[in-house]
This record gives sequence, C-alpha cells and structure tokens, in this order.
Amino acid sequence: MLERDLASRFAAFAEARIDGACNCQVTNLVRIHGGASRQTYSIDLTYDTAEGPVEKGLVLRRDPPDSLIDTERRVEFAAIHSAHGRAELPVPEALFLETDPAILGAPFFVMGRIESGTPVNPFRLEEIEPHRALIGRHFFRHLGAIAALPVEGSPLAGEIGLPAKQDCWRKELAYWANEIRSNAASPQPVAEAAIRYLEGHPPPPAQRLSIVHGDYRSGNFLQNDTGEITAILDWEMAHIGDPYEDLAWATDPLWCNNDTERAAGFIPWHEAIEIWQATSGCQFDPLAFEWWSIFAHVKALGIWVTSAKAYAGGANNDPILAWSGWFTHAAHELMLAMRLGAKHGAVA
Amino acid sequence: MSNIGFILGQLGQTLVADVAPKLEGDYAGGHAAMAGLMAVMAGEAWDGAADRLVREVEGIRQILEEGGVEACEIQAAPDLRISSLETERDLLALKLISLQARLEAEDSERARTLNGKIWAHYMATSQARMPSPPVFPDADTD
Repeated sequence: MLERDLASRFAAFAEARIDGACNCQVTNLVRIHGGASRQTYSIDLTYDTAEGPVEKGLVLRRDPPDSLIDTERRVEFAAIHSAHGRAELPVPEALFLETDPAILGAPFFVMGRIESGTPVNPFRLEEIEPHRALIGRHFFRHLGAIAALPVEGSPLAGEIGLPAKQDCWRKELAYWANEIRSNAASPQPVAEAAIRYLEGHPPPPAQRLSIVHGDYRSGNFLQNDTGEITAILDWEMAHIGDPYEDLAWATDPLWCNNDTERAAGFIPWHEAIEIWQATSGCQFDPLAFEWWSIFAHVKALGIWVTSAKAYAGGANNDPILAWSGWFTHAAHELMLAMRLGAKHGAVA
Repeated sequence: MSNIGFILGQLGQTLVADVAPKLEGDYAGGHAAMAGLMAVMAGEAWDGAADRLVREVEGIRQILEEGGVEACEIQAAPDLRISSLETERDLLALKLISLQARLEAEDSERARTLNGKIWAHYMATSQARMPSPPVFPDADTD
C-alpha cells in the first residue's frame, strides 16, 4: 500500500473512530526505522470538532508480512493500556485497536505520540553523557515500577492467562526452546545445551506475578536532553510472569556493549539493584538472577533465529532482520558458550 | 580487482559514512546504515569463512570419535564451497547434540572430561564466528 493511500485510509478510519471529528486529514506520515516486529508510522492528524480544530500526533503500529517477533497486537495493546497513566511510567496512550485487515491491509493499533526524546544506541551509550547515571536511575526505577503494577484485573490479564508462580520459568523456557527448534535454519548445539542446563537447574518460584515488558532495554526507550526517560516503547513481547525476566533482559551485556562495571551500562550494579528492589518490592536473589540471565541469552537466540528465518524466506527484507540473525545471534551464542563452558571446566 | 573482502568493506564504509547520513530522516536511511554495517561484516568474514568451517568440522569429528560415535556415513564435503562445508558441519552437529545429551546423563569422569571438551569446542567456534563490533558513524556526521 502506498503511503499516500495509507494516509487517506487512515484519515477515514480516524474520522469514524473519534467522537465528533470531521474533516480528518493526515498532514504528515513518516515510517519510523527500527521496531521490525511492526511497521511503525508517525502520523500528524488534523480534524475539526464543535469546539474547534484539533491537531494530534499519533503512532500507527501495523502488522508486517513477517517480523522479528510473532506476537498478537491485541496483547501489546493491552500491555500498553495496563501501564499507561500508572506509577509515573512514561507510556504512550493506547487509543485504537483494529483487527480487521481490510481497513489498512493488516491489523494495527494506534497510540498517542510522545513528542520529546530520542532512542539510545546500545553500542554508543557514551553519547548520553553527562546524563548517563541519571537515565540509569530512571531506567531501573521504571523497571521496578512495571514489576510492581497490579496484574489481576489489568487489561493484559484479560487477554492472557495467569501462570502459576512456580511455572513462569518453565512456560517461558518451553516457548523459546520451541521457537529455536521450529525456526533455526541449522542445528543449534549451544542453544540446546543451554536449554538442557536451564531445565536441569530451575530457578526459585517467582516472588510475585508481574507484568513483564519482555524487551525492556536500551534502544527501547526515549530520553531527552535533561536525562529524563520520556517514553517506554516496544511492548510486543509483554506477558505476565517473573519480574526477574525483565531485570535479566534489561542488563544483558548486548544492550550495553558488554559493560561489566555498570548495570545495563548506566550505573553501578549495587545502586541499580537497590533502586529495583525499592520500586518492585522484590528481594534480589542472585540464584534467580543467574538463571534468568542465562535464559535471556536463550530467549535472544530464539528471537534471532526467527528473524533470520523471516529474512531468508523473503517475507520481510528489513536488513535489521539479517543483522539480528547474524551479529546478535553470534554475540549471544558466544555469551552462552563462555558462561556455561566455564561451569563445565572448559577453557577458551 | 578480486579482493572481495576489501571491496565489501569499502562498500560498507561508503553506505555508512556517505549514503546513510544523506538519507537521515527517511526510512531508507536506516536500511542504508544497516546494509553498510553488514557489508563491512561480510568483508571481514569472507576471507576466513572456509577455514573456520574446516576447523569446526575437524573439531566435531575428533570429539565424536573420542565419544565412540560412528560418523563415517556423513561424507566429507566434496569441495570447499561454504554451502558444502556447512552441510557437513550441520550433519555432524546433530550427532554432537545427541552425544552431549548422553554424556550429561552419565556420571563418570570420562563423560565429564569429554563434555568439557565439547564446551571448549563451543567456546572456540563461537569466538571464531563473532564479527568485530560495529563501527557506527558519529552522531553529528553530516
């Protein structure tokens, strides 16, 4: 669908969905790079109401032919809806969900656009100096706040079931092991050995059931030039589970260019853990963290082999998928080999 | 000119440093930058790809032999094409997965030692496959 066509069809959709709106027009529509799991567009919408003219900034997230992560947009929409306006979390407003592919060629949802902030390049965290530590404190405060959000009765809980606390790890590991086995183009001996290791050394039950963002990390939030986090984005892997999953994923070495001195490349580990404990209400357990941090590498491999498959199959030619299937796959396979190899007495 | 690694590296640099910045703000700009980074990676990987695969194959065959696993039905690659070597490596890797799972279930010093060798193989092959870190252009490049 041409972007001009997309704009006119979106304007018609908006006019039908916004109470009292008429003369809806899309004055600007730009596709945003990144976020390969959905086609993401920034939209300027104008319309008239009985009270006068209105200008609105929106973000459209439309399902692509194939993507990095195969998730239901209904779940992502519900997760955003669950977090918006709570605990001072900078989360966009979830506005419209449309599952009829006839409207814009594929199912989609629409969020309010947060007008300030830029994403952080995980490979260039030095660019956010002198606000690196301040951003880090906000980063772990928001992470803890997400973990502390009420689960029961949330829109997300209305879309997906609640796992038992003792089953969170098993459910997630089974899901990602299946993703690897279903989508990898070649045998994955390191991933298979890691899956067996995780199955044989389970973590303690979750301290609480939490909304898990699923992809909370540098690159998936916006920050401004005063060190504030203005938006937490990319909720497409959100689910309900163990809050350690998000903590381990957020501090995975890939997202901070292997900075071992600072948690997530932002602030000292002890400070990050203190903030996370205070805001999440959870107690830090090194054994649980160890398990979930190895799991994070396995989950990553699941995402990377899936993206490689989408690219190789020709359904989606976004180069980020090839990058994920190559560079980031190699990075996480290396992390697993080094960490688990050391546990088995192997020397590099 | 047949120095393919060099050509890919130069193409990548051109895309990252010259083309992508001029497309900033356009969706294609992100594509150009990613394509450039991967062209650099491809140039780096091109020269050593066959050597890396031959070493992987030799390493797995050695471990399988030590573990008493019959692998002679998996024929050696008929040539040094990357695709041929990958086919051989992948067939051997399936046997390696089975061997390691069996060793993990065994409570013996011999099994632990051989499992350690498998992990050392994974460490070495993962390190060999890891591309150099990407060099992103300066944020203020214009």
